[in-house]
Amino acid sequence: MIVSVLQENLAKSLGIVTRAIESSPPLPVLSNVLLETEDSRLKLSATNLEVSITAWIGAKVEQAGSITLPARTFSELVGTLSRERIDMKLDASTHTMEMRCGVQTTNIRGIDADEFPPINHGPEADFHLAGDTLKEMINQTVFAAATEMNRPILTGVYVKLEDTTLTMAAADGYRLAVRTSEMANSFDEKQDMVIPARTMNEVARICGDDMEVGVCLPKERNAITFTAPNVVITSQALDGRFPDFAAIIPRSFATTTMLYTSDLLAVCRRAEIFARDNANSSTMVVRPADNPGEPADVMIVGKSAERGDTEGAAQATAEGEPLDISFNIKYLIDVLNVIKEERVIFQSNGPENPGVLKPEEREDFVHVIMPMSK
Amino acid sequence: MAKARKILHLDLDAFFCAVEEQLRPELRGKAIAVGGQPDQRGVVASASYPARAFGVRSAMPMAQALRLCPHLIVVGGTRGAYSDRSRKVMAILHDTAPDVEPLSIDEAFLDVTILPESIEETARKLQRRINRELDLPCSLGGATNKLIAKTANTIGKASKPKDAPPNAITIVAPGDEAQFLAPLPIRGLWGVGPKNAETLASLGLRTIGQVAQWSEAALVARLGKLGGDIWRRAQGIDTRPVQAGGAAKSISKEVTFAVDIADDARLLLTLRRLADGVGRAARKAGLAGTIIKIKLRYGNFSTHSRQTTLEYATDNDTVIMKCAERLFLQSRIDDTPVRLIGIGLSGFAEPSRQLDLWGKAERPAESSEFQSALDQLRDKYGETTIRRASDLHYQPNDDNRR
Repeated sequence: MIVSVLQENLAKSLGIVTRAIESSPPLPVLSNVLLETEDSRLKLSATNLEVSITAWIGAKVEQAGSITLPARTFSELVGTLSRERIDMKLDASTHTMEMRCGVQTTNIRGIDADEFPPINHGPEADFHLAGDTLKEMINQTVFAAATEMNRPILTGVYVKLEDTTLTMAAADGYRLAVRTSEMANSFDEKQDMVIPARTMNEVARICGDDMEVGVCLPKERNAITFTAPNVVITSQALDGRFPDFAAIIPRSFATTTMLYTSDLLAVCRRAEIFARDNANSSTMVVRPADNPGEPADVMIVGKSAERGDTEGAAQATAEGEPLDISFNIKYLIDVLNVIKEERVIFQSNGPENPGVLKPEEREDFVHVIMPMSK
Repeated sequence: MAKARKILHLDLDAFFCAVEEQLRPELRGKAIAVGGQPDQRGVVASASYPARAFGVRSAMPMAQALRLCPHLIVVGGTRGAYSDRSRKVMAILHDTAPDVEPLSIDEAFLDVTILPESIEETARKLQRRINRELDLPCSLGGATNKLIAKTANTIGKASKPKDAPPNAITIVAPGDEAQFLAPLPIRGLWGVGPKNAETLASLGLRTIGQVAQWSEAALVARLGKLGGDIWRRAQGIDTRPVQAGGAAKSISKEVTFAVDIADDARLLLTLRRLADGVGRAARKAGLAGTIIKIKLRYGNFSTHSRQTTLEYATDNDTVIMKCAERLFLQSRIDDTPVRLIGIGLSGFAEPSRQLDLWGKAERPAESSEFQSALDQLRDKYGETTIRRASDLHYQPNDDNRR
């Protein structure tokens, strides 16, 4: 194997594929990146057996070949090399890759490529999505997925295709994010699956504005493949059924408040400074005005028994009943961080009932947060 | 019935200003305010009585204070001198009564029940001593509990002329508590904030007396547990003791076995009982904690403790028990006989529970409804009325070493 690549390209693609690698994998070879020549490209792959990521970069291939190199050493070195051409030459008998770049000559010992588990990315895509849409859909749902393993199915993002609607949903038991989008294709037969949140985060990272991402749905192997230009991510779907969530989204509300997203976010962040000592519990106080259209009083209160308290007013209009409701303030901050619209609607049916947030004039994103009760 | 307590509330009048006047006698009798400079958006920390006569108040922006009172003398403040005088005042209080609870640098409660003289007499002596020895004006309120003593002091001070330190003494006689509170606006009642005042006003309740006339159940229905507290306070009832060391920092229960025990099953039974005890004590004190700690002392007196921090403050027996069990199993040195075992709850915060999207049906024992039903049964029929099934063959007296 004799191949030349640009440092910049190699560093970038290593940054993408090595995210599939676990910190202490069950097999030594899983700490390595697989390098294979493919026509006039160098193909890099990494896997943890659940998620596999492959990326291609342009290369001058003098002699075909393959090898695996320890990801950490390889990435760390490439990251520090100068922005020049890297010439790589494999000594197959010792599995040692000689790398020359500028003034630097390096030999990295690897493991034979045959020991690397086979990576099967899915075949042709079943449908395509605009990269920016896919990225936004993931970013608006994935943060709500569970990080603890007590309900493994909730560590994934639920993905459903039905007719022309793509739905993504995630919930950690206390909050739920649901985002939909219309597709060009139509799926007469409903298909649904649960994809690990970790995979979805990686997919969001590779999505760019001016690209189409192909999706190959799980078939017999229960794996889903996302194909972006020069990068492919394949992931096992999670086993199990995602709990029914449609029923827990309320349809009518006693209190409806319209707020400014960035203003509310700022007030929540201040409350969080004090709420930290109090399980992040902060109270939202809503007092609708006597006459419609007049500004309402909306306050967010954060209290610490030891450090003090803070109370901030958010600009708002409100209709319906007065409301005092406590939330884990981090949940509010998380959702406000992924709403780009200027204004946001907050609705609830009382302090023991879910709070519902959605961007103004959008029906394709809804977020439900369960309150904290005394 | 227990003998009525005698509680005093002491407040140093315009304390920072009084200290400044000692340091700079030329300021005496003038309108002064201690605080930040107006051009640095300073606020008033303390205003002398001549300044208060112009409407200058604590926490007011200094610029506004100067508009109200153009000849106001703004003084930067001398921190060290304040804490020095405060320590001297507290020393006099400790010299007077065994139980002193400082509330801030210039405010404290005293329990003077054990003193033979009348509460007025004690108050007068104390005031004279602080006036003479430290040259500081102070006001006192006296009554059978903290709530009335503090309220009496506030009312007494307010009834004095505004242009000089009040140096007031106001005593509410035993039995007159409710009558004393009755005409006061509900905002004057401890624990009633603007929101609750609004709720009470919407029920037509504007004075404390009106609240006292209402049914407790109706207030609980409107305001929850706080409704009950407000109702009791409106009657002038307050059983809080004067606590010398400030509020409780932890609640713990432990047991020393008569004979060291190596059997884990037996130890776990004890641990569960201790968890119930800690939970119940916490609920009685109205506290909920985030830190659960267990302590194990082995036969050779080596002592091990281990703790965990919860995301949400709890006062629930089952939650405390589950954590304690896990800590026990993690830290237990196998088969070594245990001499003492204990559980502590600390890191107090507001009790709160994150509600679940799909309901909590799977863990009914952790619900507050379940817990309070158990408490009611135990209050009415005794602690052993209802027990864990695992405790049925267990004799509580097995444990305690004499």
